[in-house]
Amino acid sequence: MSQPAEIVVEQLTKAYGKFLAVDNISFAVPKGMVVGFLGPNGAGKTTTIRMLTCFMPPTSGTARVGGFDVFHDSLKVRKNLGYLPENAPLYLEMRVAEYLHFRGRLRGMDRGSIKKRIDEVTELCWLSDRKRWPISKLSKGYRQRLGIADALLHNPPVLVLDEPTVGLDPSQIRETRKLIANLAGLHTVLLSTHILSEVELVCRKVIIIGRGKILAQGSPEELKQQCAQRGSGARLVLELRGPADQIRTALAALPGIEQARIISDNAVCAVELSGKLDGAMREQIAAMVQQRGWALREMRSAGASLEEFFVQITDPGAAAAA
Amino acid sequence: MSTTLALARREITGLFYSPIGYIVLAIYLLFVGLLFSLLVLQPGAIADPGPMFQWNHLILIFVVPFMTMSLFSEEYRSGRIETLRTSPITDFQLLMGKFLGAMGFYCVVIASSLIFILILSLFGRPDYMTVLTSYLGLVLMGLLMVSIGLFFSACTQHQILAAMSSCVTLVALGILFQAISYFLGSALGVSWAWLRTLRHVLRYLAIEPHMVNFSRGILDSQNIVFFLTGAGLFLFLTYVVLESRKWR
Repeated sequence: MSQPAEIVVEQLTKAYGKFLAVDNISFAVPKGMVVGFLGPNGAGKTTTIRMLTCFMPPTSGTARVGGFDVFHDSLKVRKNLGYLPENAPLYLEMRVAEYLHFRGRLRGMDRGSIKKRIDEVTELCWLSDRKRWPISKLSKGYRQRLGIADALLHNPPVLVLDEPTVGLDPSQIRETRKLIANLAGLHTVLLSTHILSEVELVCRKVIIIGRGKILAQGSPEELKQQCAQRGSGARLVLELRGPADQIRTALAALPGIEQARIISDNAVCAVELSGKLDGAMREQIAAMVQQRGWALREMRSAGASLEEFFVQITDPGAAAAA
Repeated sequence: MSTTLALARREITGLFYSPIGYIVLAIYLLFVGLLFSLLVLQPGAIADPGPMFQWNHLILIFVVPFMTMSLFSEEYRSGRIETLRTSPITDFQLLMGKFLGAMGFYCVVIASSLIFILILSLFGRPDYMTVLTSYLGLVLMGLLMVSIGLFFSACTQHQILAAMSSCVTLVALGILFQAISYFLGSALGVSWAWLRTLRHVLRYLAIEPHMVNFSRGILDSQNIVFFLTGAGLFLFLTYVVLESRKWR
C-alpha cells in the first residue's frame, strides 16, 4: 500500500464472556479511501466499529485511528472521527440546526465555525430546506442524512458509517451512495454494510468479515478474481434452439470446457458451461454453434459476482449445497 | 467547561420541550400551594413561611424522580449514548452536564414557589433572610436528590424503573428513616445502647431534621455537610456505573 493508513487494526479481539464477537482481526484503511466493511448480520461489524470509535474497549489487540490509539488516546481519536451509529439516534424534540449546534459545542467548536459548518453540511446532505424542522417531523431518510451531516460537522479526517442506507427508499439510497462516493479523497471512510451492490458501487477496497473473523480483503475486482480462481466462479450460459443432448455432448467435447450442464430444455435449450472461458473460447463456441445450425439466442457470463463470492465465503455450507 | 454547559443546556431545554417538565412543575406548585394555604396563610398567624420549607421535601421526593428518570435511561434506550460517548467528551463532563442540567431545572421548579412568598408579603412582612436560607437549604437538598435520581437513571435503560428506585430511596431518606427513628425512640421506651445508636444514625440520615434549621434561618455546617457528602457519594457512584458500562 503506497498511501499511509488512517485506520490500523492489529489483532483486535472482543469477547463477551466466552463468545468471541470479534476474533483476532487485522486490517488497514488507507488514507482518503472509501472502504467497505462487509458481513452478514451478527458478523461482528458493529462490535469492531464500536471499538474503533472508542465506545467500548477491546478485550485484546490494538487499533489506531489517525495515528492515535483508541484506548490510550481515546479523546484524540474521537476528535478526529465522525461516526454515524446504526439507526442514527437523535434528540427528536430538537430542531435540525439546533441539534447540529449542540453537537458542534460537544466537539469544542466555536460558535462562528459551527454556524459556517452547519450551512455547509446541510447543503452537502440536502438538508438546507429542513434546518428549522423539528427532528421528530423528519422522515427516516432525512434523519439518516442528519446523522451523516452530524458526522461531517467538524470536518473529521476519518468517517465511520454504520449501515448508512438502512431504511431508506431506493432514490434516497442512490443519493446517499453518491454523497459517500463524493467524500472519497477528502475523508477516509469506513462504510459498514451488508448490502453488496453498495460496496461494488462506492468502495475501492472491501473487507469481508464473518463470525468475527476477516474472511477476505481487497478491491472488488481482486475479490472477483479470487472467486474465479476458486473454480466455481466464471460460467457461461448459452440459450439456443436444437436437440439438448447433442448440444451438451458437442459443447462438452470442446477442449477447455470442464463441464456442460443443461439448465432447461423447453422449446429453447439453456446450457451452463464452466472451465476456461476466455474470449477466444467464446468465439470458438459461437462458430461451432453456427456451423451446426443451432439458432443462438443468448450467450452471457454468469457468476463471479461479488455476491456469489460473499455467499461462498461467509457460508461455505450453503455454497457446497448449491 | 463549555461542553459541560452545552450538555446542561440541552438537558434543561429537553425538559421544557417535554410534557414531563410541565407536569412536574404543576404538581409541585399544587402541593406547595396546599402546604402554604394550610400551614402558612392563616388568619392572625405570623408571616412565617417556615413550615412550607420544612415539609417541602415531602413533595420533592415524589417530584424529583420524574425529573431525573430520563437523564441516562433514555440515552441508553434510544442509542444516543453511542453518539455521546463517541464525541470528544470525558465521562466526567457527561456526568456533570447531566447533573447541572437537572439541577438547573430543579432550581426553576423550586423558584416557582416564590409566588407564595410574594403572596405572603402582601399580607405581612416575612423575614427575607430566613426565606433566603430556606431556599439555600432547598438547593442543597436538591443536590442530594438529583444525584440520587441521576444514579438510578445511569443504572438502567428503563425510565420507570429508574424513577421507582430513586423514589423508594428518597422515601426512605425523607419519611421512613425518620419514622422508624421516632418509633424506636418513643414507642419502645427501652434504652439499649445499640438501639440508641441505630436511632441516631437513622435520624442523621433522614432529610427533615436537616431541613428544619434552614427553614428557621440557621445555617449549621452539619446540615450542609450532610447534603454535600450525600450528593458527592451518589455522583461518584454514578461515575463508577458509567465507567463500568463500557466494559460490558
